[in-house]
Amino acid sequence: MNSKLERQLSELLQAKVIDSETAQRISVYYHTKTDAKPNRLFTIFGVLGALLCGLGIILIIAHNWDDMPRTLKTFFAFLPMVIGQIACAFSLFKKKGATWIESSATFLILSVGATISLVSQIYNIPGNLSSFLLVWVAITAPLMYVLRSSIAVLIHLVLITWYACDLGYFFNSHTPWWYLLSLAWVIPFYIHLQKKQASSNISGILNWLLPLSLVMVLGTFTTGNSLSFIMYLALFGVLYNIGQLPFFKNQKLRRNGYTIIGSLGTVILLTILTFEWFWKEAIKDLFGEMEIVMTILLYIAGIVVLGYLHIKKHIRDFNLFQYAFLIIGILYLTRDIGSTHNLILTNIVVAALGLFAIRIGIHKSSYSILNYGLLIITALIICRFFDTNLDFVVRGMLFISVGAGFFFTNYLLLKKQRATAIRTNSKN
Amino acid sequence: MTKKLASPVLVLLFLIQLFVPAQMIYEQEDALKSGRAYKFKTQPIDPSDPFRGKYIVLNYDLDSFETEEDWSMYRGNVYVYLRNDTEGYATIKTVSKTPLAITEDYVIAESNYNYGKQVNFDLPFNRFYMNESKAYDAEVSVRQAQRDTTKTCYGLVYIKNGRAVLKNVFIDNIPIQQYVEEYQAAIE
Repeated sequence: MNSKLERQLSELLQAKVIDSETAQRISVYYHTKTDAKPNRLFTIFGVLGALLCGLGIILIIAHNWDDMPRTLKTFFAFLPMVIGQIACAFSLFKKKGATWIESSATFLILSVGATISLVSQIYNIPGNLSSFLLVWVAITAPLMYVLRSSIAVLIHLVLITWYACDLGYFFNSHTPWWYLLSLAWVIPFYIHLQKKQASSNISGILNWLLPLSLVMVLGTFTTGNSLSFIMYLALFGVLYNIGQLPFFKNQKLRRNGYTIIGSLGTVILLTILTFEWFWKEAIKDLFGEMEIVMTILLYIAGIVVLGYLHIKKHIRDFNLFQYAFLIIGILYLTRDIGSTHNLILTNIVVAALGLFAIRIGIHKSSYSILNYGLLIITALIICRFFDTNLDFVVRGMLFISVGAGFFFTNYLLLKKQRATAIRTNSKN
Repeated sequence: MTKKLASPVLVLLFLIQLFVPAQMIYEQEDALKSGRAYKFKTQPIDPSDPFRGKYIVLNYDLDSFETEEDWSMYRGNVYVYLRNDTEGYATIKTVSKTPLAITEDYVIAESNYNYGKQVNFDLPFNRFYMNESKAYDAEVSVRQAQRDTTKTCYGLVYIKNGRAVLKNVFIDNIPIQQYVEEYQAAIE
């Protein structure tokens, strides 16, 4: 049991909130709970050790021992992989705990990479980094299911993101189609993990890593025109709505990467879309088939998630963040009418998003969400500061009003919290 | 995955993991043992790969060919058919978009940015991995050698059934590792 709980128990005893018998029972409960928990720290150090050893082997191999005969080098190429395989088999067959499973899986994945590297090096096998990463991913992907290793999922996600970025963003870029399949491979494991160990650290990390990977890679499916913005907006809409599923929404906000990435992405993109140049360019742009297909697919996904939330009655209040991608999507479809009305409506949507965030902040008594809303409005005003012909006095007044808004809304929230505290105390 | 299924799948996975590098080795060894040797004139430069270490990129003199057809819009793989000249260096017999029924050895190369009747391509065996202390000096020493004298740098490549294995790089018939060691000894 930690000292914080001990301190709190003695405080409650002194204040006569609980009696000594209850304190004893609470203490016993937490003792049992701590003992039943697997040693997480041991697992973390085990994985870190395996990670460092694996990376160390890769670096030693990268030195290139050109004095060594080819046969000896080939023998050493296979050695780390065979050790990794023995460790994994030992963990599985001897039914070892999480520390063994996670460490041996980490070591095997890295040593497979080391083996292919060394063979490529010995025989000067041509091929760029992305093809090397793809082979590596393909022959290590089943490990996550066979060993039920969460770290294997983590490494898999990092490797496929690296592969897609290397293939899609650099010279002679190609579309990384295999990324989609490799990502789909992870999903059943991810869902299972969320059902069984939703509160584990690894679930929290994956809640961030999965959407981040998608955000990083989506750009490889576009040639970079105005439709790319709408495609990304659709992705952020999908992510935000996934984050609103009760499963994620009931978790702490810091564990809900979907909501945070979806919300930030929507706001940043929409702020860019409040500039006139975007809508002027949008009228002239021509797009490739792939961009159109990806955008349509993302919009369908967004509508499906939104529809699910409605059918299951998970949406109680109207939240503009969930619909922003649809509104802008419709505006984009009608862009030929002219840029002015789109421009005005996008500015209104961004301002409304700011107000919604303020409302959510006050409703949830959260200073961070409240000030996030105010920041959205400030960002919008700063953008308009540069590209409108408004009088200096008017612009000055706008800034003063937002500044006053910061003070006023924070003060309101503070007052609300004090009133709630007083009410709770008087009830007791 | 159920425990009963996990064991055979794990064993199968281990076999695949062993098979992939073993197959890579087999194909390379086969080309080295029974393939025909070609010398490709080249210039090395020195970049680095995070996993496989330092290597030199070989810019081959053979990187284009004049044909009768128009290649302006073509982007993709080409079949480069080879033969040796009187000095033993590789030359091109012909380049084609599809395999041809001729006996000459060929390699498959990537072709981009073509114009008119000239087809441009990058030969695939353009990486030669070197010890990390030698890769940069290899680039410098070869550049100096080429500036000062008429020394030639070439890659020795074994080719069989379209598979090409770069065995070594030579500067005036001296293996590049030995040449760099001599260069490093001279500048110390």
